[in-house]
Amino acid sequence: MNARLQAIIDDGKKAWAATQAGGRVRITVTHDTSSIARGAERTIAAIKDVAARKNLDIDLAITGSWGFCWMEPTLTVRTAAGTRTVLYANVTAERVEDFLQRTVVEGGDMPGLALGVVEGNPTSEIPLLADHPWMQGQTRRLMENLGTTDPENIDHYLAHGGYDGFGRALEMDAEAIVKEVLDSGLGGRAGAGFPAGRKWDFLRTATAEPRYLVCNADEGDPGAWVNRVLMEGDPHLIVEGMLIAALAANAQAGYVYVRYEYPLAFDRMQRAVDQAYAKGLLGGDILGTGRSFDIIIFKGAGAYVCGEETGLINSIDSYRGMPRIKPPFPAQAGLWNKPTNVNNVESYANAPLILRRGAASWSAVSDAKEKGTKMFTFSGAIKQACCIEVPFGPKVRNVMMQYCGGPISDRPIKGFQPGGPLSGLVNADDLDITLTLDPFRERGLFLGGGGIVFFDESTCVVDFCRYFLSFAEDESCGRCTTCRGGTQRAVEVLRRIQSGGGHDGDIERLEGLVRWMVSSNCFHGQFAMTTIKTALKAFHAEWIEHIEEKRCRAKVCPGLVEYRVEAQGDAALPAAKEICPTGAVLEEEGRYRIDDALCVRCGACRELAPSAIALLDRSTAPVLEAAAAAGG
Amino acid sequence: MAAEPTVQELRDLVAAYEPGKGHLLPALHRVQETYGYISRDAIDAVARQLNTTPALVYGTVTFYADFRTHQPPKTEIAWCSGPACRLAGGERIREALENTLELPLGGHSDDNRYGLHLGQCVGTCHESPQVWVNGEVKGNLTVADAIRLAREVKAAE
Repeated sequence: MNARLQAIIDDGKKAWAATQAGGRVRITVTHDTSSIARGAERTIAAIKDVAARKNLDIDLAITGSWGFCWMEPTLTVRTAAGTRTVLYANVTAERVEDFLQRTVVEGGDMPGLALGVVEGNPTSEIPLLADHPWMQGQTRRLMENLGTTDPENIDHYLAHGGYDGFGRALEMDAEAIVKEVLDSGLGGRAGAGFPAGRKWDFLRTATAEPRYLVCNADEGDPGAWVNRVLMEGDPHLIVEGMLIAALAANAQAGYVYVRYEYPLAFDRMQRAVDQAYAKGLLGGDILGTGRSFDIIIFKGAGAYVCGEETGLINSIDSYRGMPRIKPPFPAQAGLWNKPTNVNNVESYANAPLILRRGAASWSAVSDAKEKGTKMFTFSGAIKQACCIEVPFGPKVRNVMMQYCGGPISDRPIKGFQPGGPLSGLVNADDLDITLTLDPFRERGLFLGGGGIVFFDESTCVVDFCRYFLSFAEDESCGRCTTCRGGTQRAVEVLRRIQSGGGHDGDIERLEGLVRWMVSSNCFHGQFAMTTIKTALKAFHAEWIEHIEEKRCRAKVCPGLVEYRVEAQGDAALPAAKEICPTGAVLEEEGRYRIDDALCVRCGACRELAPSAIALLDRSTAPVLEAAAAAGG
Repeated sequence: MAAEPTVQELRDLVAAYEPGKGHLLPALHRVQETYGYISRDAIDAVARQLNTTPALVYGTVTFYADFRTHQPPKTEIAWCSGPACRLAGGERIREALENTLELPLGGHSDDNRYGLHLGQCVGTCHESPQVWVNGEVKGNLTVADAIRLAREVKAAE
């Protein structure tokens, strides 16, 4: 180990040990975008306020996400003696006073909010966190420090094996590092699964100088927040991963392209890089080795297509973020037309773990062809929106039942979207599919970056397709006619079907677009129709119902449904009239009716007067004689 | 938010950026973080500093959804366009917001007191369906909640 690095690590360990030996109760609050959305900053303010008022001598710290996103704010309380740590959930600001009274002043537990004992002995009321059903089957390696360390403090990272992998890499030559990563079997984590070691080797053997690394942190797939959890929770893992890749590929500089929508992730990455510079881990002559590497944290500006690697490169290069025509590939001509390697956040973040543990031990975690662990986030029609880390291979059904808490209501799950708007739709018949790459590929789908969205019977497949196609239309860069015009055309056809104008040939028309759009230049156009292509097969009957019977079984499509007043005299009707944003709920002499021409199908009236106002399927609802008939 | 800058102030603000180094987006962010939006004068100043044309800078500004070419409204409701929100009734909330505020997504009132913005998913899907009011999450909304919120924003001075 490089002596200077060893000294830095030793200092980090000492600094961490000092925080743990304060002799005070230590409260560590999860502080990330998810917990902030659920009030973590108000909780922190309340803790400070109560502690000041009651003269409580406590240490207050922040940490990354445990993954219990649906139960934020979470926090741990560690006893003054440092022998016991308990994790609590849903500690909202209103609960803080009571909570601190019980846990700090009285020194007891608060079993009602406890998730488990992190350190120390379980009690009859609070089991070990490791025994929590939600933790079973998870292997937390990337997420190991989340919940423990302060993401804004490099010493905490150093005290937990941080930069140890980099230290090992410093003693290896470039080829040996590439070999270690190749041997591990690490595949690209954005969904393609291409061996990271081979990509690094392309860059290593490139002839031009300088060479660049790019970390794609433009996590634009709606419903995916895996990279955000990592950047907000353990940013040094990514910095160290890029340093190792730089040694392997002889790269001089690296860019981390963080999407505009992730300001906290941007700040934490910037802070991590600043700290690494201050410790001499980045910059010129790193730790006296003569090696140099710079990292620039780059802020995007809101464009999904910049997640495509050449769009991203153009965006850094000071152009509109329009994907380039390949070849040349980035490994030959990327940033400023120099050799460039682009990897996803999670791909780089695995490198320190591989170097730290060795390839064999890193990949031993699962029997699947895809090596290592994968982080996933789940959302949609489930009880628990969360973030987990598991070895590749569990069945989607099991994951949905165990980690997501099952369907959000009595309605059964109808299907799911495996990873982003270009990834397709899967029918619930196929819930036993495993979370590995091949089964998705075989079905023409794509297991993307890890954001899985479940939907239930209340979702209309035609509407959900229109949602994804509208997204693809909005986010098309506009270069290829196939993509720009194709997405527009698809949205047009879908809108017509949704408004009751479906007719013969619509399915063939959409299938034509599927064939046509694959000639687009980049993934965006090539895969924009995946949702429709897969949904036409997996949910065929529903399309026929829409087009031929003008029926939407989920009662979502605006032209196929109608709101009607079915019961006069309901006390809630005046409120329903008042809430309508378009004045469509009319009242004449105490009788109410809805003017269908004015109604925008927002459903606010029915929320307020559920027993008086009905949502009807137009294909079967009795036709009104005249508007006056209902109005009296 | 600072007052309208002079041309010289804009030039000074971006004086540290250099051509050919990937400084276009950082320069534009700097302008927007300082003044809230990117004016025609700012586009000229950035183009001059980076040795490029205003057309290229304008093309870049308008390519990205989060660069603004006008002052942000006093109160902005950003509607989450993510899938979890959509599944929880987000599209009906969009209809309600657009019709209550009488604005399309991306629009703002004539006096710039309020505006409606298309927000992208950031993975706070446990709060779906949600909007952000000047950046703060308002989650688990009913359509009626969204209408009341929009009416308040519209009525506020």
